Amino acid sequence: MKINVMTDVLEANDRIADGNRQVFDSNKNLVLNLMSSPGAGKTALLERTASALKGKLRLGVIVGDLETTRDADRLEKQGIPVVQLTTGSACHLDANMIAVALSRLDLSAIDVLVIENVGNLVCPAEFRLGEDVKVMILSVTEGDEKPLKYPVIFRESSLLIINKIDLLKHTDFHMDEAKANARKTHPDLEILDVSCVTGEGVSEWVDWLCRRYREKFGASIRA
Amino acid sequence: MHEMAIARSIVDIAVAAAGTENARRVVRVNVLAGELRAIIPSQLILYFGLVSRDTIAEGSHLSLETAPLVGRCAGCGDEFSLKDLTLVCPVCRGQDIEMISGTELRVKDIEVE
Repeated sequence: MKINVMTDVLEANDRIADGNRQVFDSNKNLVLNLMSSPGAGKTALLERTASALKGKLRLGVIVGDLETTRDADRLEKQGIPVVQLTTGSACHLDANMIAVALSRLDLSAIDVLVIENVGNLVCPAEFRLGEDVKVMILSVTEGDEKPLKYPVIFRESSLLIINKIDLLKHTDFHMDEAKANARKTHPDLEILDVSCVTGEGVSEWVDWLCRRYREKFGASIRA
Repeated sequence: MHEMAIARSIVDIAVAAAGTENARRVVRVNVLAGELRAIIPSQLILYFGLVSRDTIAEGSHLSLETAPLVGRCAGCGDEFSLKDLTLVCPVCRGQDIEMISGTELRVKDIEVE
């Protein structure tokens, strides 16, 4: 006997993601799903963000890693609330992991919640977590052809941060080429050039966060 | 690597659907996967076999149908293959492209006994 099903395979994940989203909205959280390769600078960007956002918006972080609490340890030094998820063998975070983590955070004390995904350019793009916006980092040491090799994540992201621009002169990374490649799959992709070492571009990134927060919640921003 | 999580979802959906008809076991699961989902069939089938163990879907055949990536230009209506994901209309060079195929990931139907 044949049974018609027609069910989206990721429906269960999406349902939980919708539930997370409701919790975030009721707590007035702007939520980012931050994705990149391992070592592109997700944690470094968040260290910079923690100090640059002080007095403007209150930052909180959920960080996913296969093993260790090293990223959470780095971020806790910045005096922000951090929850570490150790995923073991899972190469991405899913909505249920986030739902479980939420009980470990006081969301009412957070304006911007960044979910730092597992370093990986493939799987994280497939699983909605309940975020408002996906942001990805490409570092110049990875190469300007990456948008052509991993088009899905570039397409899913609203903002691309090109990090480690202080190393540009030591690489054969062509900024124009990288941006053109990214916009082939996502014509209206926003792009920011950043160095987490020199701090270049960090204030533009903070402005972007404040703007997105205002767009979601109106003029209630303190800064 | 996302194949493991996807395999688990497929088994859950198949077992739940079989339960609504009081089926004894699932014989076949037909899945439609868009090209954009970047699923490696051999991996998905391997994981499906593992995670379906000790369920009524154990030993069932997972059949994967691939949906090609196809775009439609909002400007001129042309439909074309999006093989390299370049979202530009080959006819009018328009950039307002809707993906009409290639993003789906769905359990279509199952066969049960």
